[in-house]
Amino acid sequence: MPAEEVEVAISSDQDIVLARQKGRAMAVELGFSSGDATLIATAISELARNILSYARRGKISLKMVHASNRQGISIIASDSGPGIRDIRQAMRDGFSTSGSLGLGLPGVRRLMDEFEIASEPGHGTIVTVKKWKQ
Amino acid sequence: MKTATKRKTKRQAPFEEEHGAAFAEYTQRGGEAALGRAYGLGRRAINEKKSLMEIASLHHRALHGRLAGLKGGARHQKLLAAAAEFLAETLSPYEMAHRGVQDAIAALRQLNETLEEEIKRIAYAVHDEAGQILVAVHLALADVARELPKPQKEKVGRIEELLNQVEKQLRRYSHELRPTVLDDLGWIPAIRFLAEGVSKRANLRIQIKTTVAGRLPGPVEIALYRIVQEALTNAARHSKASRVWIRIGRKNRIFCCSIEDDGVGFDVQAVQSDGKRRGLGLIAMQERLNGIGGTLSIESARGRGTRLLIQLPAETQNANSHRVS
Repeated sequence: MPAEEVEVAISSDQDIVLARQKGRAMAVELGFSSGDATLIATAISELARNILSYARRGKISLKMVHASNRQGISIIASDSGPGIRDIRQAMRDGFSTSGSLGLGLPGVRRLMDEFEIASEPGHGTIVTVKKWKQ
Repeated sequence: MKTATKRKTKRQAPFEEEHGAAFAEYTQRGGEAALGRAYGLGRRAINEKKSLMEIASLHHRALHGRLAGLKGGARHQKLLAAAAEFLAETLSPYEMAHRGVQDAIAALRQLNETLEEEIKRIAYAVHDEAGQILVAVHLALADVARELPKPQKEKVGRIEELLNQVEKQLRRYSHELRPTVLDDLGWIPAIRFLAEGVSKRANLRIQIKTTVAGRLPGPVEIALYRIVQEALTNAARHSKASRVWIRIGRKNRIFCCSIEDDGVGFDVQAVQSDGKRRGLGLIAMQERLNGIGGTLSIESARGRGTRLLIQLPAETQNANSHRVS
């Protein structure tokens, strides 16, 4: 049985694979459908890719979250990179490195139920997302 | 006594069951009917907010089931499961993008509604509030004039005339923004009123020919009025046209409205994709029409004038009909 909490250091493409694997296993363990598990893996990919492109290194923490009447998964992507100067711009469609509409951070926001971003220029970025089991 | 009319809803089978049945039908006997069911399922899936991956996974489960029943099929089960997972992964970014598009459409609808409210507010402010201030100015001027000798009195009279013109113009703008004619008499008289104003201001000859009469449901009338308004604004602003023809009619069960000008025309594809104001105007027109089940086609080329054609299924004209999705 996977642990309630896992941390994956991100500094290469292989690390992204590992984070996806851990996230998917946790999602399945929590009873998410395979479709939702795929969406969770996708969110992890996007968040990890952001770390690689903007901060070079950082980490992804995965946690099972239990509320009174539901269960879910929380994904925290953190880095101590250059930070985001303009969060609103970063959250705008088509801004991210992907360049495509609907991908990147705004895409992640739509896939997850909760989304929080904190960033300080020069000190890094923390993105926290949660998805609850339907 | 008022009797509540209940819409009869056909009991729908659970999605997966219906999917499995249609899949079995098609893979056993083929036929367009089963494909039609598949199409219907896709529409239902969108309504029920099923993700692309859920559909992919259902598809593969159904395939799995079919294969298990076939001789030697069991050998391929593992391959099939892996293929399903792989497909779901490649679809995942599409799902993300799809949700983005849905959000954007919802935002655009919301924006249209907000805009309509805002327009109402401005029209009211221009008409009533500015009108009241003008009345006060008139009274104050009359006070001043009373104490003045005759030559100056005449000068004040000229100011009053100018004020009257201002008032008239303000009233006209206010009515064009949100014509009471639109609510009272319908969109065709409202368009006539609008065309008259634009014609004078922009020096355009606008001809309106209509072979239909009667009212349409409120949201449809507002949408059509706004689209014609945008089209006339474009014609006046960009087209360098001298004439505009508006034709409103009905062909069989399709209701048509075309707006044509003899202006310079434009490269439709370039304008539609440039994302600037004019491109957005065209997209917003299309979106308004989507909201009422209509379509817009644009024919234009440099030096060849512009023709916008709005088509709307006649059913949407019936105020009592509701859209069944």
